[in-house]
Amino acid sequence: MSNWKTLLLRIGEKGPEYGTSSDFKDHIETCFGVIRREIERSGDQVSPYLLQCAEQLPHKIPLYGTLIGLLNLENEDFVRKIVESVQANFQVALDSGNCNSIRILLRFMTSLLCSKVIQPASLIVVFETLLSSAATTVDEEKGNPSWQAQADFYVICILSSLPWGGAELAEQVPDEIERVLVGIQAYLSIRKNSSSSGLNFFLKGESENSPSEKDFVEDLWDRTQSLASNGWKLDSVPRPHLSFEAQLVAGKFHELRPIKCMEPPSPPSDHSRENIGKQKHDALMRYPQRIRRLNIFPANKTEDVQPIDRFVVEEYLLDVLLYLNGCRKECASYMANLPVPFRYEYLMAETLFSQILLLPQPPFKTLYYTLVIMDLCKVANKEQRALPGAFPAVVAGAVRALFEKISDLDMESRTRLILWFSHHLSNFQFIWPWEEWSYVLDLPKWAPKRVFVQEVLQREVRLSYWDKIKQSIENASALEELLPAKAAPAYRYSLEEGKEKTEEHQLSAELNRKVKEKQSARDMMSWIEETIYPVHGFEVTLTVVVQTLLEIGSKSFTHMVTVLERYGQVFGKLCPDNDKQVMLLSQVSAYWKNNAQMTAVAMDRMMGYRLVSNQAIVRWVFSPENVDQFHMSDQTWEILGNALNKTYNRISDLRKDISNITKNVLVAEKASANARAELEAAESKLSLVEGEPVLGENPGKMKRLKSTVEKTGEAEVSLRESLEAKEALLNRALSETEALLLLLFQSFSAVLKERLPEPAKARSLEDLKSEDENSSAMEVDTENGNPKKRSEIGDREQWCLSTVGYLTAFTRQYANEIWPHMEKLKLEVFSGEDVHPLFLQAIFSALQIPLQ
Amino acid sequence: MASLFKEQAKLSAYRDRRFSGTQEEFEEALRTSSTVYIGNVSFYTTEEQIYELFSRAGEIKKIIMGLDKNTKTPCGFCFVLFYSREDTEDAVKYVSGTILDDRPIRVDFDWGFQEGRQWGRGRSGGQVRDEYRTDYDPDILSVVILFCLDGGYGKLVQKELEAQRQLVDYGTGSLGGSYPAPAPSNYERRGGPRGGGGYGQGGSNRHGRGGDFHRKRQRDDDRYGRDNSRRNSDHETRRDSDHDMRPEKNPRFRESGDSDDDGEDDRKRS
Repeated sequence: MSNWKTLLLRIGEKGPEYGTSSDFKDHIETCFGVIRREIERSGDQVSPYLLQCAEQLPHKIPLYGTLIGLLNLENEDFVRKIVESVQANFQVALDSGNCNSIRILLRFMTSLLCSKVIQPASLIVVFETLLSSAATTVDEEKGNPSWQAQADFYVICILSSLPWGGAELAEQVPDEIERVLVGIQAYLSIRKNSSSSGLNFFLKGESENSPSEKDFVEDLWDRTQSLASNGWKLDSVPRPHLSFEAQLVAGKFHELRPIKCMEPPSPPSDHSRENIGKQKHDALMRYPQRIRRLNIFPANKTEDVQPIDRFVVEEYLLDVLLYLNGCRKECASYMANLPVPFRYEYLMAETLFSQILLLPQPPFKTLYYTLVIMDLCKVANKEQRALPGAFPAVVAGAVRALFEKISDLDMESRTRLILWFSHHLSNFQFIWPWEEWSYVLDLPKWAPKRVFVQEVLQREVRLSYWDKIKQSIENASALEELLPAKAAPAYRYSLEEGKEKTEEHQLSAELNRKVKEKQSARDMMSWIEETIYPVHGFEVTLTVVVQTLLEIGSKSFTHMVTVLERYGQVFGKLCPDNDKQVMLLSQVSAYWKNNAQMTAVAMDRMMGYRLVSNQAIVRWVFSPENVDQFHMSDQTWEILGNALNKTYNRISDLRKDISNITKNVLVAEKASANARAELEAAESKLSLVEGEPVLGENPGKMKRLKSTVEKTGEAEVSLRESLEAKEALLNRALSETEALLLLLFQSFSAVLKERLPEPAKARSLEDLKSEDENSSAMEVDTENGNPKKRSEIGDREQWCLSTVGYLTAFTRQYANEIWPHMEKLKLEVFSGEDVHPLFLQAIFSALQIPLQ
Repeated sequence: MASLFKEQAKLSAYRDRRFSGTQEEFEEALRTSSTVYIGNVSFYTTEEQIYELFSRAGEIKKIIMGLDKNTKTPCGFCFVLFYSREDTEDAVKYVSGTILDDRPIRVDFDWGFQEGRQWGRGRSGGQVRDEYRTDYDPDILSVVILFCLDGGYGKLVQKELEAQRQLVDYGTGSLGGSYPAPAPSNYERRGGPRGGGGYGQGGSNRHGRGGDFHRKRQRDDDRYGRDNSRRNSDHETRRDSDHDMRPEKNPRFRESGDSDDDGEDDRKRS
């Protein structure tokens, strides 16, 4: 990379580029010296790269802003073009709803104001345009209040750029900025509080659930007010322009032209709760909330910083995560070396965990945050300066804090926490002070803490192997009881010495022999139909076939896949309908009862080969023996989740295909139309053949044109055909989804109705938690001085909480697929008379439909 | 998405000699492929472990273990096929350089699995590709530990990676699919070149998972048998033991000639 680029990229960093100096002033001067010359040499390249740096390393915006301010003193024209590009990009971002660009560019413009590049009044106009759009949107008559997410987002953008230039605005245009702030306050009074229970990490106690709880916008407003009352002074945003103030005042302002905000869609014609909810959902998908604060550390542990500084550091961290995703080293290094004068490792841990647990979903897979946390644990060790070696301990503290609150943690978040934790430990030799938690063994089997430990161990074993994990918990050997069974299959027909050989043993051996002889699936099927089925009946036949074939494929994932590929039809023929497929699944689960992973994988593959339907899986999950385990193990939930996920993935694949083919159809249409036009033009031309005027160009060319018309026409037709085929597949998939969702919600509704207390006794989930204090606090053993449990929750109550928790989690996760089927679901499931109100409450909160 | 640092990153440091097209076609294949090549895998790592780890990146279509072409045992690499390109990219971005079974594995885009590529191409049957492990940032790969066990701050334990190797029979028992055509005795696990108690004696009933099982226990016994204090034990690094066991297989000697020859062999075979 050329020198000037490296200087721009690395400005403000300690490293070879800037020698020993860590002073921002030196950096800016050095960089300025090089860049001013470079502009003359290759001016066109400088500005796009500079903008790219500012957009993708937003924590350095003040440095880039100051640099541009200095350039403005010498090369107004260059800076004018930069301002124009920023503005053009900003408008594009507004038009396309690109949240990150809108937010960062507005911050960048604010910073350019500090270095006297942008006219303050014209920035105020931008703020006011955004604000007025926001106010209109939430207006009942003129706007569309269900699109409040966009309005909130615009206001958040204004507020979140004030830390970068509040002081300058207050100094240069005090009345105008005051007017903006008053406008924001007015906006806050007409918008609705959006703290919705459907996206909270924790199930809240009643005291916390009061309507006065502040949502993100209100909270940011409070922080901004306290910043304003502190004279706009804060620690987290460097102000390098101050060192150059004497020069910068000579700069010539550039004006921003007016901008145009995106208009929200018109409100739904009928004001049903569902339609409003649907629009609200769409708006939230478009303008998702970046962070939900996770206050897990006690106040005395966290860094003592101003409220606004906390916000700014969160912004820095989230932006590094966003823009440096995929650049491992840089990401960890920027996270650990933010330009702030205080320590922030607790804040960093809270921010990272808030992303892992974020609902409905974080911007990236858990895997990414896992990697970042691992790297930070290592960086922390290497770069004592930034994070004095404490990050691993802070992470451990976060785990302990979350563990304490695990019974209130949302089920989806909890699952992600388990996946993260097991994966994290697998990268650090599975070292964890398990003895701290060995007391969970004294808790009932359904106690959330106990289930958490059990599920973490389960995942650890999957990532490693049983003996290794057993070894890792030797300090808390009692926890061995929570280890999964050793992974061996439960094969019924093993031929052990001295054990009786039944007829089934012989059938199994025979079947085994046929596989080894590579008999075709068809031959095997007719043998089964002729010899086993008539004599032994369906159940024995199924048992023998499932046990034997799974045993043959038991050696590895690939072995299983191969058996299913080769002999899957045997299952298919034997179990053509849902009823029989449910029995098939029970058999699979019996064979792999000691291995949760293989059970899940086998069922997943069988669904993949369409040997079992997704509906059969739902029915199996809700079969009585599984229902009883809902609160004691994640296993069946994992399987249900896989089935939903697979269904959803296939639909997404089809949609992607369709959108690609549609694009190709357009291209083909154009090509074919062009070819036809060319042919027609040629046909209408007169040309001379052997001295005679003839209609049409020379025969060679005509022939070529005709063949092109034919070819392009055929291509178009064949694309259209494949589009139709895909669309038919998608329609089928969508109607299957509808049936699946109906079954899923009916099943949840039925099991919940059976076990939830009467509606009159349980108006909210919190009622469940409090009720048990009397009923089941007794069954706790209090020996050995283990930490005493206050009031452990009862069997049935925990069952209800877990099941409702998963209902919420699945509904929220697949909200996008659920909305199109809402009418039908409402008609057939949600509006039934005997539907439990808590069931509906869970669904509505997951879908963010307002409750009456 | 970060593009500032991307230009420095290569799609893959490795150019497979068996790829028949041009460099451009090779890069295009890497850009669109939904297959990853995973290297530096422990010889003991099972498909199920790979499945558990990589399914966190996305839905897995297929796993193909790389096998020593002589012993038909896993020899430290494998392919994972995903359904979606996005998941493939995430696997490369987020799993490469992390630990699986005590080893930092590397994950690269692969131009696409073809029959024959499951065999190690080293002269001795193992994998040649091992040599380019060094272009990783050693800081990222070094394993530094972790949590203060006593609740105090900053007490970090650093520990070297360790692993021992013992060959494990794998391939002869595998079913067809992407593996070689199965012989009739397909599902029987044959005795392999490893010694040790109980292995391969599972008989007809427990040849499958039972095998893994013994294998794992045996490995564990070997590792911890002499020294129960895990945290203090001083183990050889795995790479060293690789070389100790098969000194003739130093991959660095084979960069140019051998792999091509081996490629020829493989083509003839298939």
